[in-house]
Amino acid sequence: MAQNTRFPVTRRSLLAGGAAALAAPLAAPFVSRLARAQDPVNVGVVVPLSGANAQFGINSRNGIQLVADEINKAGGIKSLGGAPINLVVADSTSTPATAASVAQRMISQNQVVSVLGAFASSLTIAISEVTERRQLPLLTMSFSDIITGRGFKNVFQVVNKASTIGAAQFDYTMAIAKRLGVDASKVAILYEDTAYGTSQSEGLRKAAKDAGLDIVMDEAYPHGITDVTPLINKLRGSGAQMVFPVSYLNDSLLIIRTMRQQGLTIPAIGGAAGYVIPDFHKGLGELAEGVLSIAPANWDLAPDYTDRFRERFGYFMVHEALEHAVCMGVLREALEKSASRDPQAVREALATGTHNEGWSSVMTGDGVRFDETGLNANAFPVMVQWRDGELRTVHPAKVAKIEPIWSVKAG
Amino acid sequence: MSALSLPKRCSALARPRALLLAALAAAAAIVPLFLDPQGYWVRVLTLTLIFAALGQAWNIVGGLANQISLGHAAYFGVGAYASTILLINFGLSPWIGLFVGMALAVVVALVLSVPTFRLKGHYFALATLAAGEALRVIANSWQGVTGGPVGLSVPFMPDSFWMMSYGAPRPFYWIALAALVLVTLVFWWIKSSALGYRLRAVKENEQAAEVVGVNTFRAKLWASLVSAAATAAIGVVYVQFTYFFDPDAVFGVATVSVRLALVAIVGGIGTVIGPVVGALVVVPLEELVNAALQGQVAGLSAFVYGAILIAVILVEPRGLVALFGRLRRGLGRRPGGAGEAGR
Amino acid sequence: MQLLQALVDGLLIGGVYGVVSIGLSLVFGVMNIVNFAHAAFLMLGMFVAWFAWAFLGLDPLLGAFLSFVLVFAFGCAVQQVLVRPILAAPQVAQIFLTVGLLIVLENAALMAFGADFRSVQTPYQTSAFRLGGIIVSKPYLYAFAMALLSGAAVWAFLERTAVGRAMRATAQDPMAATLMGIDTQRMHRLAFGVGVGLTAFGGAVILPYLTVSPTVGSHYVVLMFTAVVLGGLGSVAGAVVGGIAVGVIQSVSALVFPIQLQNLVLFVVFILVLALRPDGIVRRRGA
Repeated sequence: MAQNTRFPVTRRSLLAGGAAALAAPLAAPFVSRLARAQDPVNVGVVVPLSGANAQFGINSRNGIQLVADEINKAGGIKSLGGAPINLVVADSTSTPATAASVAQRMISQNQVVSVLGAFASSLTIAISEVTERRQLPLLTMSFSDIITGRGFKNVFQVVNKASTIGAAQFDYTMAIAKRLGVDASKVAILYEDTAYGTSQSEGLRKAAKDAGLDIVMDEAYPHGITDVTPLINKLRGSGAQMVFPVSYLNDSLLIIRTMRQQGLTIPAIGGAAGYVIPDFHKGLGELAEGVLSIAPANWDLAPDYTDRFRERFGYFMVHEALEHAVCMGVLREALEKSASRDPQAVREALATGTHNEGWSSVMTGDGVRFDETGLNANAFPVMVQWRDGELRTVHPAKVAKIEPIWSVKAG
Repeated sequence: MSALSLPKRCSALARPRALLLAALAAAAAIVPLFLDPQGYWVRVLTLTLIFAALGQAWNIVGGLANQISLGHAAYFGVGAYASTILLINFGLSPWIGLFVGMALAVVVALVLSVPTFRLKGHYFALATLAAGEALRVIANSWQGVTGGPVGLSVPFMPDSFWMMSYGAPRPFYWIALAALVLVTLVFWWIKSSALGYRLRAVKENEQAAEVVGVNTFRAKLWASLVSAAATAAIGVVYVQFTYFFDPDAVFGVATVSVRLALVAIVGGIGTVIGPVVGALVVVPLEELVNAALQGQVAGLSAFVYGAILIAVILVEPRGLVALFGRLRRGLGRRPGGAGEAGR
Repeated sequence: MQLLQALVDGLLIGGVYGVVSIGLSLVFGVMNIVNFAHAAFLMLGMFVAWFAWAFLGLDPLLGAFLSFVLVFAFGCAVQQVLVRPILAAPQVAQIFLTVGLLIVLENAALMAFGADFRSVQTPYQTSAFRLGGIIVSKPYLYAFAMALLSGAAVWAFLERTAVGRAMRATAQDPMAATLMGIDTQRMHRLAFGVGVGLTAFGGAVILPYLTVSPTVGSHYVVLMFTAVVLGGLGSVAGAVVGGIAVGVIQSVSALVFPIQLQNLVLFVVFILVLALRPDGIVRRRGA
């Protein structure tokens, strides 16, 4: 973040701006709700901009910002008389109740037509409780199965559910192993005990059982673990031939490094999150080479789009940025089609048909089509691999950019 | 909710203040009639009232006996989980779940009292912190019952008082206000009862209190049981209001334990009005800072919020109520009648 | 064998827990304050060491000294401006001042350094010694050695130097110390500086196997408090013993219980120890 966009903030401008903005929410209810044609369309963005998930929140915001700027440069929403998109961005913090309050504020005071966010599943679920009651579409890339599993009418998940991603993490690996003639029958599952780790590992576990494989280790560990040695000791003793870790970055580096320290060279197939961000390669260098991971989408599937992100922000378009950009792209299409600022009209447009113009087409599966629960029925996860410092798509074959390899650098 | 419901023990001196508080509560009750029933401010004020009630519950042990607990999330979470699990699995009304949660919280408080009550000062604070964290780990791991880290969603239901379920925040505002009034009355009653005097003796000097024959263990135990039960009950209201929670949201150190103690401390601990003032500052302040700095560089709003907290503590370590007392004395140059409220 | 391996791992990691906790204990001993922001200074130390590695090419084991110096100076300033005014305030006010400080430092770091997870690459970071069947991780061993070294240095400073003795005197009886002509305010400032500086040092030496981001401290808060309380608040030697106890409990309990419950085991031990020996395993002796 620090190297990307700096907001020049002087103390005086901060104080003045702060005072004005403190007064703004009080005055807002009295502002007319009648919008003119060229008035901007307000879109709420609620992502964590502080706390442990700040990096992902910032990436997400960058992705949305990029698309919104492109829309505005191209003349705004044409069916609304060229109305530009105005992003209302706020910190969800790490507390679900606060995230919900922030969303409520945007709905009441900024008259947003839709909310995008909030990376972490718990925050997204809390926000969806507000948007559902206020009848306003929420677009998200959070994985949790619960999000579209409650019969809500106003939530749209552009990525696969965690259980699907977990299953693909296993199935794709098996397919690759078979193709490369690798024989592996004993597997280990390690996951952090967060909503993400737990729900994704459920899909993984089920797929492994269905395939009749021997799960020799299946262990949750506390989020924020400071020493993974006991975990890797167990892994070494289990005789596993490959390991599926589902974790954020800190744990993923610890796991890979400790494995190499102990001379354990079995392949690790990561569960997205910590395994598919630039910091993973920066932290591990050579050791990252050849590491496989599942991902809900990858930048190299549409480089002509994602290169614009790299150009502007200086790093490749990580998946949360990409999927949030897709959320914004889909919303733009829905606004065009509905030619309305009414959240329910936009919801109808979102729920109908396939969205495949511009950024909507960057998501896997030829455009985005939501089923009756609000889940993107077209999307499928991809297997990615670190190769020469780049994260490349290696599976399924129909979208793969290069052939996978099955090798691990020893430390 | 008139002055009549106050215990007779209240001295004549306290009566004007009782009337004042009753008037405040009545005024608070009509506020949401002027606000958008679905809107943002009703929501923020409801959260404010919930945290005021929590701060007041904490005040019973933290303020009266100076037992600084940093583990009240334990009771809060137990209430939240108990009622929601009963609601999801057996369709039991949260009002009944509320009593189950209170009972369980009392059990937890009883168990914790054994190892913690001999501890003094910082040791007590840290032991309670560990206890709250222990329950968070349990809620996270005991997936079959608690849903684990994925969290629990309160089932979507039509508006109903019996199921404590409303689509709009306004009814929760009144429920939270009622909770605050109830806990405040309990606090007031304890403060002016024999138990209150014993707790104050504990606060001033525990050993001396023992010497003059006060059973300090029993006094602390009663206070902590009442506080635990009240915290659990408010936990039920909180999750019915927010519809969704995970172990971090109800057992978290920063999200719950520290926050509710903060509410009491910023206002002024041991005073009737302290937690209310504290909540009125802490909760809307966080929202206002967040709103004012939305779209700014990541981390700025949280930074400003933290800086304001530091400033408040530096200006008046005993809390805002003491500060108001000081200001009033300074301005009016009369020895404040309510100056006692500061301490 | 498994048990021996777990003991070795626990000892190495625990030594580091111990050293990052010494400062917490020292500040408590001298000023009677529980510093919730302590872990944020660990984070600062890690950032200093990371920048020293990235721009000066310093190995974090050496960068640790820079971390100590810079964070020491910063700590003295924080003590002077923020902590000193509330030394006489109620305990609750002190707790919340440090909580506020934690929020401020974390988010200041977020604004200044960004939210990236930064880590270093060193030649030894993924290798280990093999002694019989026991694997001894090199980065753990080096961190442990550096940690013990700094712990011993602090001990020598407190026991053998005039300033150290003055500091202990301040801890035992500030009034008497003042009467003896000791500048207690200076002692407080020094103790706070040394305390947080030491934690920063500890943060730097563990950087070879960890990553630093603004919230990294949060993973250590509870561990530090547990170590300090197990050892007895205010005791330097106790903090080290407590830290090692935490490390060993974590690693040995993993042989019996699911790793997910390692902290639960820790908390239960923690509360039981408090119940049975409210002053910690090691009796308090001076600072």
